Amino acid sequence: MNSLSLSPSLRRILFEAIILCALSAAVGLSLNFKLIFNAFSGKSVSTLVIAAGVVAETTAVNSVAADAFPVPVELDELDDLLSAGALLIDSRNSVDYQTNHLAGAISLPLGELDQDLENFKKEVSIDQTLVIYCSGYGCPDSFDLGARLISEGYTDVLIYEGGFPEWRDAGRPLAGGGK
Amino acid sequence: MTLLGKTVYHASRLGLAAVFIYAGVVKANDIVVFAGQIANYQILPYSWNYLVASILPYLELLCGILLLLNMRVRPAVLVLFVLNIIFMFALSSAIIRGFDIDCGCFKPDSANPTSPLAALWRDAGLLLLMIVTWFLRDLKHPVEAD
Repeated sequence: MNSLSLSPSLRRILFEAIILCALSAAVGLSLNFKLIFNAFSGKSVSTLVIAAGVVAETTAVNSVAADAFPVPVELDELDDLLSAGALLIDSRNSVDYQTNHLAGAISLPLGELDQDLENFKKEVSIDQTLVIYCSGYGCPDSFDLGARLISEGYTDVLIYEGGFPEWRDAGRPLAGGGK
Repeated sequence: MTLLGKTVYHASRLGLAAVFIYAGVVKANDIVVFAGQIANYQILPYSWNYLVASILPYLELLCGILLLLNMRVRPAVLVLFVLNIIFMFALSSAIIRGFDIDCGCFKPDSANPTSPLAALWRDAGLLLLMIVTWFLRDLKHPVEAD
């Protein structure tokens, strides 16, 4: 036999290690099938959050199609979008925004949306490309705000899931200051 | 094997079991947050963060349970060893690129995040425990009796 052949005991350990990986993959994929499907099909993972009812009332009231969810974009895609005139929206609270935010972003906190929405609709046209972010992956505010804006008639709503932490860690420009 | 050898073997095995069962349960409890922690490393494409986050916790959990039960110890240690090496590469990459991120090793704690450097030292310790467990298991079962 060649010199790369393993001893029977090592071969068995290796085989059992592969079985462990396969078993874990089977369990993980079956338990999180919908999440992975949404991530790979380009649907926001937070459609699960939305489907769970976080903004269900809004979408029901406004008769928005069930599949009208904001679309996620990555950091690399942002440059093209921003140079093409996309509007960057910070959905975090005002204090976080004033402390630090993505350069060029405007503030539209989800918690203050009811009072800010009318002004926003007057200033931002319905076909404007919107890119919304919050505090990174796992933060639902950007999705919830995106779903609300879609329900208000905005047609091009994107979510930057990496949000503030990813932008900061990538060394992109930040700004602090008022709304 | 001497009493000392047995004691060290069981202590390192149970230590590893505790660490990886805890890590697996915490991560499996919130896959989306864990995917975000992986994404902070900026290594994988968007969708792959979710794929890895969906599988990794169960792998850690399964290996941890096998170590706890003292069954299939060397296959479990081999898997965890390879995972740990991958984690250490990812952490080193984050340190080199100057990322100030939570390591994503356990529960996310924004108040007290674990820096990549601290996590790297911890992983080195775990690697040592894995080597000890592997070789002491080998002495205990020279022919392989997993």
